Amino acid sequence: MPTARSWTEGLLRDQARAVADVGTLLRFRAAHVRRPRAFRVGLLVFALATAAIAVVPAYLPGAGGPGRAQDVLLLLPTALAGLVLVAVVSAVASGGGRELLARDPASIHPISPTTDHLGALVLAPLNIAWLLQAWTLLGAASYGGGREPLPTLQVAMLLWLVVATAVGQVVAWTVEGVRRLRFGEVGVRLLTVVAVVAVLLLQLDQRLVPLLDQVPTVRVVALSVGGVTAAWWGVVGALLGLSLAAVVLGAVPAHLATRRVPHDELRVESESHRARPLPHSDLAVLLRTDRGSVWRAVPMRRGLAVLAIGPGVVALVGDLDWVQLIILPGLVASGGALLFGVNAWCLDGRGGLWRESLPVGAGTVFVARAWVLAEFLVAASLVTMALGGLRAGVPTPTETTALLAMLAVVTVQVVGAAMRWSLAHPYAVDLRSARATPAPPLMMVGYSSRLALSTTMTGLVFSGLARLEAPVLPLLLAVPFICWSGARLVRTHERWTDPVQRARVVVTAAA
Amino acid sequence: MEVRDLHVRFGEVEAVGGVHLTAYAGRATALLGRNGAGKSTTMRVLAGVVPPTSGTVLVAGHDVLRHPMAAKRAVGYCPDVGGLVPRATPWEHLQLAARLRRLPAGWEPRARDLLERFELGDVAHRVTAGFSHGMGRRLSVVLAALHEPEVLLLDEPFDGVDPLGVEATLEVVADARSRGAAVLVSTHLRELAIEACSTVSVLRGGAQVAEMSALDMAGEEGARAYRSLLD
Repeated sequence: MPTARSWTEGLLRDQARAVADVGTLLRFRAAHVRRPRAFRVGLLVFALATAAIAVVPAYLPGAGGPGRAQDVLLLLPTALAGLVLVAVVSAVASGGGRELLARDPASIHPISPTTDHLGALVLAPLNIAWLLQAWTLLGAASYGGGREPLPTLQVAMLLWLVVATAVGQVVAWTVEGVRRLRFGEVGVRLLTVVAVVAVLLLQLDQRLVPLLDQVPTVRVVALSVGGVTAAWWGVVGALLGLSLAAVVLGAVPAHLATRRVPHDELRVESESHRARPLPHSDLAVLLRTDRGSVWRAVPMRRGLAVLAIGPGVVALVGDLDWVQLIILPGLVASGGALLFGVNAWCLDGRGGLWRESLPVGAGTVFVARAWVLAEFLVAASLVTMALGGLRAGVPTPTETTALLAMLAVVTVQVVGAAMRWSLAHPYAVDLRSARATPAPPLMMVGYSSRLALSTTMTGLVFSGLARLEAPVLPLLLAVPFICWSGARLVRTHERWTDPVQRARVVVTAAA
Repeated sequence: MEVRDLHVRFGEVEAVGGVHLTAYAGRATALLGRNGAGKSTTMRVLAGVVPPTSGTVLVAGHDVLRHPMAAKRAVGYCPDVGGLVPRATPWEHLQLAARLRRLPAGWEPRARDLLERFELGDVAHRVTAGFSHGMGRRLSVVLAALHEPEVLLLDEPFDGVDPLGVEATLEVVADARSRGAAVLVSTHLRELAIEACSTVSVLRGGAQVAEMSALDMAGEEGARAYRSLLD
């Protein structure tokens, strides 16, 4: 009689173990939350905010009726498709999604790629782009559908969120697997260029909107607004099936990708750089070292490419005018700071201890780090504006000054906030992997929300000013903004020069 | 180098609680003790990385709290962990140190010589992120020794280093002693500490429990004496 276990039995046991391991890792992460009480309050606020966004708009005047609500409902299928796009881009940019446990500490544990894949799925919503899209979707569905179809429509929306995230993960692992093949990186870049050009051509040919009208998400919305019907149950069943299939299927490319070597990371770690002449000042040599730490890191290079080109292409496709484009530098700068700026002292890694023993003023070190962060953000914003402005024509004098003022204001604003947080909450992070983030996921959500809120508000102010015929006004208004953020940056600089504060940061970041 | 009643606290934790230590020019002192005894924190204070909570710390005659820059100029420090900027090359590390320490023109031959002695000449322009632990340790010693400091602080310089690297490190210590520098070596390797140093200071629970000649720590008798100091 055969006694060996069947392969299906082994597979199921592995899956069950992977799910259990995700639970263990989540508990491990939760145990390391620095302020558990604040964490629980944050979770409660998040849950209440999400519930409010999903329900309250249905009770607003005009909700579910003809007019604006109907327009919102008509746009819902496109928003559903957009969510998939955001999930895919986000997961692809981060090399398969975020890690529950960083690579080095994880290397000593038997964590399977399935666990890694499931962990990345769990962490995917902890991303401001995902959250904003999800909240917009729930709010729009609530307002567009009104009170009557609210439960059925929101159930479908929630299931779609799961489907989009899981599909994004499948695509991301597949792209990561291809990227790790020989010539894979070139292939992925070519594919991206072809996709972007195709979308642009469709838009220029006026065929993009009709194409979006054909997306299958139309049926999801149409069959969910009629209440509890057999068709709605069909939609729920299909979405549940799709979610399950995508979650299970994602483990396959995750295994394949994990078996291959990440060429770009290895290349960066083993590349040589020609010796250059010795800089003539302390600041210059510090700037050169810090620039190397930023521009030679895979997550920064990849993140900057996505951040700079993504919004630029969206602006190009959407044919945004300069008044609308003015909002973009704020969003791009916020995203750029989230790549390393919010924990800027982690760039030195364990070299921070040695660097701190060098005889150079702490203020100069601070200025160099803030400057390198600022030029990183400005570079990303300029690429976005250059791309977005291709179809926007020549800006008026007011638009030009508003744009310049906005760029200066948000750069100082974001650099100030990032340097302040870097000093207050340092973390020991190795930014080698494309999947690494400079702070734990929940902190990243907090940082990104605050940055998005402040820069969007600033953007709206300068966007409004750009409509006026007063080119000097944006420049005048920029002065108090820059003074306020600049003063906060100076205060952070002063705190950094305190040796006790600095030692805490350096020792933590080098741990 | 003189440390009197050094205390270092990190919040509730007292990492160093009353260390007294004197290291003289032209002599090498080994700092021994168990994990968590306060060796690395003492080294970090001497290097000007961590300020003392209380006590007096003089490095080459400079108070590290009052004149941190003067103290830093006098010190060459090899930290216990890493000590390297991950995406910079060894040569870029050396250039950073040379510029900030105002080394006079012509420092490059000595830098190249040190890299060759530590067998790092071939990887002088490769980013250090891909270095092995031992290569990283060796480069950290090179960086500490580049400017021929008055005070050489080596924290775990032999950890994971191959025999050739150990030999090169011992040569660096001997060179420093011969030109009159004070050397402090923190290590868990008693035999190497004895080989490199003339004096041994033992820390336990953040405080100094013994100071003796390195010869008293040699052999089985020395091992027993050291063992008894750790408990």
